Amino acid sequence: MTLTAPETSTRAAPAVPGRSRSTLARRLVPYGYLSPTVLLIVVLMVVPIVMVIGYSFRDNVIVQENSVFAGFANYTKVLTDESFLAALKNTGVFISVSTLAHLVLGLTFAMMLNSPLLGGVTKAIFRIVYILPWLFTIAVIAVIWRLLLDPAGVVNHVLQTLGLIQEGVNWFSDPGMALWAVTFVNIWAGYPFFMISLLAALQGIPNDLYEAAAVDGTNWFQRFFHVTLPQLRPVIISMAVLDLIWTSHQFALIWMTTGGGPLNATEMLSTFTYKQAFSEYEFATASAAAVIVLLLTMVLAFFYVRSQRER
Amino acid sequence: MLFRATRLKRLIGAVTAATMVTFVAACGSGEDASDGTVTLEFAQWWGAELPAGEFDKIINDFTTENPNIKVKLLSAPYASTKQQLLTGAASKTLPDVVGLDGAWVNDFAKQGAITDLSKLMTDANYDASELASQVQVDGKTYMIPVVNFVYPLFVNKDLLTKAGVPSTPTTRTEFLDAAKKISASGGDVKGWVLPLDTAVPNGVQNDVMSWLWASGGSMLADGKPNLTSAPVKSTIEYVKSLNDAGVIAPGSLTMKEQDKVEKFTNGQVGMMIDSLAHINLIKKNKPDLNFEVAALPAEDGFTGQRGIPYASWGIGISNSTKHKAEAFKFVSYLMSQQTNAKLSTIANGFPGNKTAEPDFGNSDPLFKTAFDIYQQGYPANEFVGLPKSEDLMRSFAEQLQLVLTGKSSVDDALAKSQENWSSVIE
Amino acid sequence: MATVKTRRTLAKAGVVTGLVIGGLFAGLPVLWLLSTSFKSNGEVFQNPPSLITEGFSFDAYRAILGNAAQLRFFLNSYIVAFAVTILTLLVAVLAGYAFSRFTFPFKKTINAMIVSVQAVPPITLVIPYFGLIVALGLYDTYLGLILTHMVFTLPYAIIMVTAYLNTLPRELDESVKVDGGSSWTALWRILVPTAVPGLIAVGVYTFMISWNEYLFALTLTRTDEMRTVPIGIQLLMGQHSYEWNQMMAMSVLGSIPVLLLFLFFQRRFIGGLTAGAVKA
Repeated sequence: MTLTAPETSTRAAPAVPGRSRSTLARRLVPYGYLSPTVLLIVVLMVVPIVMVIGYSFRDNVIVQENSVFAGFANYTKVLTDESFLAALKNTGVFISVSTLAHLVLGLTFAMMLNSPLLGGVTKAIFRIVYILPWLFTIAVIAVIWRLLLDPAGVVNHVLQTLGLIQEGVNWFSDPGMALWAVTFVNIWAGYPFFMISLLAALQGIPNDLYEAAAVDGTNWFQRFFHVTLPQLRPVIISMAVLDLIWTSHQFALIWMTTGGGPLNATEMLSTFTYKQAFSEYEFATASAAAVIVLLLTMVLAFFYVRSQRER
Repeated sequence: MLFRATRLKRLIGAVTAATMVTFVAACGSGEDASDGTVTLEFAQWWGAELPAGEFDKIINDFTTENPNIKVKLLSAPYASTKQQLLTGAASKTLPDVVGLDGAWVNDFAKQGAITDLSKLMTDANYDASELASQVQVDGKTYMIPVVNFVYPLFVNKDLLTKAGVPSTPTTRTEFLDAAKKISASGGDVKGWVLPLDTAVPNGVQNDVMSWLWASGGSMLADGKPNLTSAPVKSTIEYVKSLNDAGVIAPGSLTMKEQDKVEKFTNGQVGMMIDSLAHINLIKKNKPDLNFEVAALPAEDGFTGQRGIPYASWGIGISNSTKHKAEAFKFVSYLMSQQTNAKLSTIANGFPGNKTAEPDFGNSDPLFKTAFDIYQQGYPANEFVGLPKSEDLMRSFAEQLQLVLTGKSSVDDALAKSQENWSSVIE
Repeated sequence: MATVKTRRTLAKAGVVTGLVIGGLFAGLPVLWLLSTSFKSNGEVFQNPPSLITEGFSFDAYRAILGNAAQLRFFLNSYIVAFAVTILTLLVAVLAGYAFSRFTFPFKKTINAMIVSVQAVPPITLVIPYFGLIVALGLYDTYLGLILTHMVFTLPYAIIMVTAYLNTLPRELDESVKVDGGSSWTALWRILVPTAVPGLIAVGVYTFMISWNEYLFALTLTRTDEMRTVPIGIQLLMGQHSYEWNQMMAMSVLGSIPVLLLFLFFQRRFIGGLTAGAVKA
């Protein structure tokens, strides 16, 4: 098994004095650590991705046996498709607002849950309450929010009873409201990811940093911006990258609440691709759209890798 | 340090062993036995819709009659069935027998995923005259409807009476009038409900085009789209007039079929067009709801035969199966007079075998009413067998949404739809 | 002195108020979900809506727990999710360590590859991926599902483990090396124990992803013997009927193990604070 590779190479080390250890073996150490990952990702991820890239240059893939090379035709088709451009724009709004809100809510909740002012039991109870949205599969989240936000549902009922609105709001079916409604639901469903990771990261900040800052007579805001945030930075950047990518994959939530409608108001790259593939049977254009998303994400990956180096 | 290392090694060892065990265990299942028994895999969503255990009984009767054939039921959630079949077909791993919806047939046939049943019928000397209908692509049968579910008009009689409407509407004018009165009768009650969600756009078929078919109209001419014709236009204008009158329940643009049924069941809408299959569900959820079924209202003065929309549980056979003859034997069992009658009775549908009589003895009297409506009219669903029919419905739904939100005129929307459809149906 | 005390009380009141508001935001929809699981199907759309209805009963729970096929879904989910979590953590710790503590040729390339492979929308990968799994003979097996989930959880786990290891000072592992220990020793004796809170957070989340994954769990299995909880939930949404209450009951039942897992491990979140491991 590949996992043993780093072990053998390093276990031999203590026997020989450190400096005379073979340089080749030492150079191979990191690759040993990486080998299981690389093996899995290459076999199970890179292979299908290469196939998708292959599809994107052909015509009539999958649904017909003799597909032909089509050059960049699928790319031209996708890039000139109005719904694709609308989907790109909606996805941009959806993922950036979601990620920002996840970060702000996750950080706020994590800091409150980490506050030294509160007792252990209070914190434990709130911790449970705060992770609740996390526990449910996305199909159920979509269903429960459809019930809550139904025109005759409980949210409208409560708002009407409180006199905040006169008429029931069509949260999901009003073209001007739908995108914000699905974004809200996604924010609700996703913040615990940030919260939990940041809560764990907050524990890792050495106390003496705060003590030193307190000795310097700093206030809460200064400590937050000069100690907490810089310490959390690697975790925040990593999570933001992941969340941007994951949110762009969010399919079931949108499909099961608005289906991309009304009037394409919530059409995302994910729903666009799905419709292309499984409703229009245009796997080639779906693949081309996927490759475009891949290229866009590589830009993100580039910035992520750069941020890692700066450390 | 050594202690740590051995512990870790042990852990890795244990995990590897566990993984191997599950792997080996998982590989044990499957393929045909050597004694000549054939196992047919039958992918469907029907079992989950029927009373628990009922479908297994029907299958068991078959395997008792045919000891050398085993049937393994594979069930998938209805919403994912099509996607699963498509994925399976792409890797030639489609189950031997598959449950189908008429809207998928053309695409699966073109993909080469399902086989030509006409040939199998000939090979088996099957008498096809008993079949109520067959779904064909290019003159060859690819799907046989096993059970048909018709879509009549459901009317909440209490709401109708409360609104002062004397009788169930039979014309469009009467329907509009009734819907207005119900909507004016107070509460948040509306006259009609129209699910136009684009994720599953079958509202276009069941709740919109049904109006056209009920007046004997057609959206096609010689198999080509004919959406700019006067009957289609008058249908869409009628739906628009219902919308303009404010009698449609809110949330229409993202409403799904389930929401429609729930709103009717809870007395929030007075009338809906819906599958007969829902009668038992409604009765179970609201035993005291006073409702009836009726033929869909037609254009004023229309005297011809009314088309009544339907959906089917259809069946097809995989093109890649090694057991086509056995698979067809199973299909003809499901279509046999006795089995088909039994299956359609428990499914609350109408049989796909003409000679099979559903047993009305134990079922709701409304079924008998619906069966009479069904026999007076003709089953109409022009989307069955069309290519990419789900996509046709979706693009039409999008245009209709534009009309209902005042962003497009009826003429423009129909012209655009005609253009969209023409590019798909050659 | 008094002002300090007043300010502390004020701050505490502020935090508690904030927590309560946030708690309502997080908890109320779940409360509604819970209440729906006790309703009869006819009452789910009742207007005006109410939290506790006349038909309050445990019928939905009885229906789920009395159904052998549904229980099998739970078992499958456990097997898959636990295996995925353990294997993912192991592999990710090794990879994260390499990214955090070593410089080597192609490091950036490999790192960028791991980040960007997950960018392809899974829905487009389904068809080629399915073909691959069938070709490898892993269709409808636990192993196929476990490896698949690992491919999707690994990039996340590696990124997060790298980030957690990056927050730990390098002096920690340097000290081991000075004592003549290898990088392997430094990883398992010093870094992993110190990073436990982070690893648990990654582990719990990995478990969640695997437990709730739907698309591939459905596509890569075909028999009820291999299906997982999310598919069981979706099976309750039929063509003609939705079992609203059972759907919610199954979700509630499905959430309990995750909740227990979290309850069990949450001590370690706080534990990390007092363990004093981080003495840079």
